[in-house]
Amino acid sequence: MRWIQQVGWRHLVGVLVLAFAMVPIVFVFSAALNPLGTLSSSELVPTGASFGNFSRLFADTGFGGWFLNSIVIASVSSAASVFISALAAYAFSRRRFRGRRVGLLSVLLIQMFPQFLAIVAIFLIFSTVTDLWPAIGFNTSSGLILLYLGGALGVNTWLMKGFFDTLPRELDESATVDGASHAQVFFRILLPLVAPILAVTALLAFIGTINEFLIANVFLTDAGSKTLPVGLYGLVAGERNANFGMFCAGTLLTAIPTVLVFQLLQRYITDGLTAGAVKG
Amino acid sequence: MTATMLGGPATQARPAPPEPTRSIVGLVSKALLLGLTVAIAIWAAFPLIENEQWTGLAVLAATTAALLYLYLTPRHIPLKYLAPGTILLILFQVFPVLYTASTAFTNFGDGHRGSKDEAVVAIQTASVTQVPGSQQYAMTVATTGDPGTGPLVFLVTDPVTRQVSAGDADGLKALDDVTVNAAGRVTAAAGYTVLNAGQASLRSAEITALAVPTPGGAIRSSGLSRAYEGRAGRAYDESCDCVRDTTTGQTWTADENIGAFVGANGERLAQGWKVTVGFSNFTRVLTDSAVAGPFVRTLIWNFGFAIASTGGTFVLGLLLAMALHSPRVRGRTAYRVLLVLPYAMPSFAMLLVWRDMFNTDFGLINNLFGTDVDWFGGSASARLAVILVQLWLGYPYMFLVATGALQAIPRELSEASRIDGASAWGGFRRITLPLLMVALTPLLISSFAFNFNNFNAIYLTTEGAPFPADNPANGATDLLITYTYRIAFGGGGAQYGYAAAISIFIFLIVAVVSAISFRRTRHLEEVHA
Amino acid sequence: MKEDDMRKVAAVLLLTFALAGCGGNDDSPGTQTSKEPKAGGELVIWADDKRSAALKPFADKFGAENGVTVKVQAISKDQQTTFVTASQQGSGPDVMVGAHDWIGNLVQNGAIDPVQLPADQTASFNPNALKAVTFNGQTYGVPYAMENLALIRNTDLAPTAPATIEELVEAAKTPEKLCLQVGQNGDAYHLYPLYSSAGGYLFGTTATGDYDPKDLGVGKPESVQAFRKIATLGEKGSKALKRSITPENSIATFTSKKCAFLVSGPWAITDVKKANIKYDISPVPGFQGGQPARPFLGVQTFYVASKGKNKALAQEFVTNYVTTPELAVALYEAEPRPPALTAAFDQVKTKDTDLEKFVQAGKDGLPLPAVPEMAAIWDPFGKAEAAVVGGADPAQTITAAGKTISSAIK
Repeated sequence: MRWIQQVGWRHLVGVLVLAFAMVPIVFVFSAALNPLGTLSSSELVPTGASFGNFSRLFADTGFGGWFLNSIVIASVSSAASVFISALAAYAFSRRRFRGRRVGLLSVLLIQMFPQFLAIVAIFLIFSTVTDLWPAIGFNTSSGLILLYLGGALGVNTWLMKGFFDTLPRELDESATVDGASHAQVFFRILLPLVAPILAVTALLAFIGTINEFLIANVFLTDAGSKTLPVGLYGLVAGERNANFGMFCAGTLLTAIPTVLVFQLLQRYITDGLTAGAVKG
Repeated sequence: MTATMLGGPATQARPAPPEPTRSIVGLVSKALLLGLTVAIAIWAAFPLIENEQWTGLAVLAATTAALLYLYLTPRHIPLKYLAPGTILLILFQVFPVLYTASTAFTNFGDGHRGSKDEAVVAIQTASVTQVPGSQQYAMTVATTGDPGTGPLVFLVTDPVTRQVSAGDADGLKALDDVTVNAAGRVTAAAGYTVLNAGQASLRSAEITALAVPTPGGAIRSSGLSRAYEGRAGRAYDESCDCVRDTTTGQTWTADENIGAFVGANGERLAQGWKVTVGFSNFTRVLTDSAVAGPFVRTLIWNFGFAIASTGGTFVLGLLLAMALHSPRVRGRTAYRVLLVLPYAMPSFAMLLVWRDMFNTDFGLINNLFGTDVDWFGGSASARLAVILVQLWLGYPYMFLVATGALQAIPRELSEASRIDGASAWGGFRRITLPLLMVALTPLLISSFAFNFNNFNAIYLTTEGAPFPADNPANGATDLLITYTYRIAFGGGGAQYGYAAAISIFIFLIVAVVSAISFRRTRHLEEVHA
Repeated sequence: MKEDDMRKVAAVLLLTFALAGCGGNDDSPGTQTSKEPKAGGELVIWADDKRSAALKPFADKFGAENGVTVKVQAISKDQQTTFVTASQQGSGPDVMVGAHDWIGNLVQNGAIDPVQLPADQTASFNPNALKAVTFNGQTYGVPYAMENLALIRNTDLAPTAPATIEELVEAAKTPEKLCLQVGQNGDAYHLYPLYSSAGGYLFGTTATGDYDPKDLGVGKPESVQAFRKIATLGEKGSKALKRSITPENSIATFTSKKCAFLVSGPWAITDVKKANIKYDISPVPGFQGGQPARPFLGVQTFYVASKGKNKALAQEFVTNYVTTPELAVALYEAEPRPPALTAAFDQVKTKDTDLEKFVQAGKDGLPLPAVPEMAAIWDPFGKAEAAVVGGADPAQTITAAGKTISSAIK
């Protein structure tokens, strides 16, 4: 009884949500195994099992290249964006300056403008950039990373700022008294303490970037420069439903890097590094 | 070597200096970063100088100088931390938004995208037709000078007489000493250097611009191997600021208020240009019955959707995080990996999958539960469906964040409450939840703001359906943003100016709501103070 | 303090010059290669994913023959808008591949140039295809393939081709009577053959045979009549038209033998063959006693971008290279649509008898209107269809759709 009260309900919640989470994924999985590759089936169990869709994905499309591009772009931009966000979050949480709250609100609101309208301006900016600095222009990963970093001061900053707020101020105050500079306080004391949230933000940024479609679609037109969502969308666009099997296979494979990153960061997210540190 | 190396305030330098090794690391990395900044600036400067972009160069120099100053002075500490993100934010977010907002005061859209000059060029080019009865010539591009820079000449062969002539801006003159291939194209001519396709393609703009005057019109290139005698049917006349038809004499006068050439009978030429229209897009939003009519209904649903999506994912995510936040739960890692999967899948793909799962006759959901619900056919079921999809897509986010937040809460705190004899629920409510809210409230606000404008959630699933039979413009699941999209891009081409104006109204609504809820978070910030 | 600052600045400056030196050395060749004149110019072609893959070998061949670089790039979504926006900002291609009904919008945005084809070339095209790319008396692009809807039937389940839609409903013994995609928000393109057979029209025509945007047929009594007839096929009628048949599942439902009849185009054939279904192709049947069912004719076209950086080369490619039968046959092999070049069509029709049948099915077809006003039709018309199929009152629904469209056109 006690077990049910303390642990059992946890499993119950876990299993129920897991069922909800997995049904569409199993559905996609069975479509990926279905050699006819349609998305219209109403069955959860695949009607045929073959890995033909997976092998065709690598043989007939540039999937390997898309995969690599996506991983490079998502890794670099999520790492950079977490760092930029953390810097800003520190300033918003620990420093008091004029325009702080207005600034905080502005970075959020600026992202509320519809992206489909911003496309025109992005063309405007990057047409010039491509002419002047082709190395960061259209069809380059570096250009797209820069563009994504424009959003680094955004939701993630808010998230991190919230966590900085939960750390007791005495921590940095006592360090300052001991002669530490603000940079030392930031890098040596605060950053390790917010490791879980750095990991969470990194994961969120990684997922956000690896799944980004709207901008990547207009930014990357060269076959060699495409990312996973752009390439995958191309499989089903204009094709009616002929490629849905391959599309589903690709969708599943897209989830793999995310799961790996999650595994990698899981240690920081769940080990509760802070538990001891806050004591003092 | 003191702590001030890293730019800290001078007053802090007095106590015992920290280990010098670390300061050197700090100094070196700082120098490296600043050096890199300058290096990038120098790299970026060369193309600007080459293209004589002096304004750009000045901005670049000023920004670099400001950055160097900022990081070399011990003052302006907050700015040191905000500068990297802010610069990127200004370039790639603030500028696009300001640009977009400025289009709200113009008629920018299909048919009115460019300048008046561009419209005139488009009108004239579109009116060039082959002179009736004339034939096409075989053509070779040649020059009297260097293939890369010499003056261009068209060597054209008359298809009937086989006479070869050289044509430039002064007109045609017959040539005799030429070699012609079977197709009639000149391959060599005395006094001329023949350009091959590769060479000619480098001078494409000059070739397109070259018109050899003839009595009936002008000979123009059609590619690199043929030419035709064409005549512009319409020409712009500066004296009357109008476009005149060269055969009928009919005129269309420029109207700078609407950005189009308008004829005496009110007929407009299709190619218009972008003009400033003041506040007319804004007044149109307020007076357009298609916008104003269903506005309140859509707004209410929009709030409902955003609140339900945010609240639903938060509750589910938090519940899950709490459930798995115990070392006694076996297989936590497996649970977590699987539970995060919905977030790891590309969302646009999964939205399409969900849409098909809701199909009345063929969908998985009706099939699994043996029901026959016309999900997207009824308002209530369609709304429930889109919220359910959002719940699926969004709970892993809240789960991750809540997990991170729970880890950050010192376990001693919740344990202490347990010892004090508080029930599990009481401990959660009095200790854990308030601490969680400190970290998560800003997130809930931002999540709300995101969902308020969650275009894909509707556009890739119901597309706004169901629509009442008498109003195909506004459906039951339409958000303001999808509705805007349909009005601005659905009929008569893209109307960016109008869309921007509606977006500004929506933006104001979100801003007000967010700002109000943000004000209420002030006390949360000072929880430890 | 002061000394430290000095040292700091000195270190920074030293590093700067070192880095700038390396950076300069590294970068200047990079910037130069992109600016340095190459042996030939560059041609950029945009198409959707499928076509860009098919075009690639031919583009490379064209490049090699002419000593120029050809880049084929794929735009996966919103090709038309992306093309117009990119062109306007100077980042567009030199050649664009797309459907002919874009012409009106592309022309009003000054995004494409007319092409001047000599008489012998114009004579080599299917006249319908050439008519489709003609707008305001000018030829805007070179057509390469045509497409229209037809009735594809499973000959095991339905041995004879129905002459009318009533016969079809009678003959269908499968769980679904007809796979004609409607979807939640309707599909005007697929409905049009039935709508026209029932007497409805979208735009009237002027004396010269062009579409007249001022004469809108939606909302007129003819359209109400037409939708009354369509309602009899809907979910409250004979259930031949259902909203649950969507663009995603209509072909798949047919290939899984759940319906005997499919209304679709040449693009469906690949899937039907893959599923090993015995099939035949006939014209889309109309209503008994009604007018003939007229499918829309769509024409895939190569356009010359007016803001391209290499227009002369683009003109050369489009007018002298796209017009060769070899390319048309290759594009046919990438996707089996009837080629617009008569010579290419004759070449492939012997080994692919379906092509002739599709052309027959499109005999009464109408070119998809290329006027920009057409953009205002699709959405409201489709929704009216979905509502009527679902059982809404035809008169009220179609009148509302007509009102929405006319206010958008103005």
